[in-house]
Amino acid sequence: MNREAAKALLILIIRLVVAGIFVRAALPKIDAPSAFASAVQGFQIVSVSFSVWVAIILPWTELVAGIGLLVPAIRRGSGLILSVLLISFIALHASAWARGLDISCGCFGTESVTTSRYPWFITRNALLLAATILVVIRDFKAATKPENVPPCS
Amino acid sequence: MPSLLRELIVIAAFVAAGSGYTLFTGLAPSPWVKGELDAGEIKYEDAEVIDAIWVDARSEAMFAQAHLPGAFSLNDANWEDNIIPLTGAWLENPRPLIVYCSSESCDTSKRIAARLRAVLPDAEIYSLHGGWPQ
Repeated sequence: MNREAAKALLILIIRLVVAGIFVRAALPKIDAPSAFASAVQGFQIVSVSFSVWVAIILPWTELVAGIGLLVPAIRRGSGLILSVLLISFIALHASAWARGLDISCGCFGTESVTTSRYPWFITRNALLLAATILVVIRDFKAATKPENVPPCS
Repeated sequence: MPSLLRELIVIAAFVAAGSGYTLFTGLAPSPWVKGELDAGEIKYEDAEVIDAIWVDARSEAMFAQAHLPGAFSLNDANWEDNIIPLTGAWLENPRPLIVYCSSESCDTSKRIAARLRAVLPDAEIYSLHGGWPQ
């Protein structure tokens, strides 16, 4: 296996892992949006009614962008959206940690989290962000390669 | 770049369809319908059955006229004098703190509850929905 093929295989594995994690995270939240809305309220950043909007829209964004990472037609947009989401999650957890909140993460539904686990959640999201950025860079490079430019007539 | 915009529009369309499904199948409460309770509020029927410390956020004059049995008077005017006995009572026997004022329109209980949360971050603190039905 040459170097380029190994790189492509690695990116494919990363793509599948990131997509799987986001789909896995989205499904319980789509199934129980009220519980997820409570988890969002726990961060004490948005109002109650806005938290319901977040609980409705965010899980579908995770699901569509997660699946989208595997669909060539929308994978760049999906990768960008997932990167923005991960940056927001890291900022939210850091903010909650700094304020000493002991809340449910809401990451995969309604599991409970103690403040002592914030470092792990931030690290996990940072690793996911790094992986997603790798995939996004690869997809943007592939989209701008000369062979993808339609020939001039 | 226009193709990236197209991708984002396609993703947004799928997200909108999914969100519509969640909303119109009743999986989620309607965000435009205000809930009965705001965050941090408790109903009197629920509050009166728990062992709680009552905090009267009305004026001292109203407190002198009538108050819930065992309630502490605490408002913006007497905060410095009365916060210490209240925190002492909570530290001695930690229980939920329920702050009340006189009516639905009275916002003092929420403000005092917010100030108390800053002083006692580990305490369970509510404001009484609708005020004290004396």
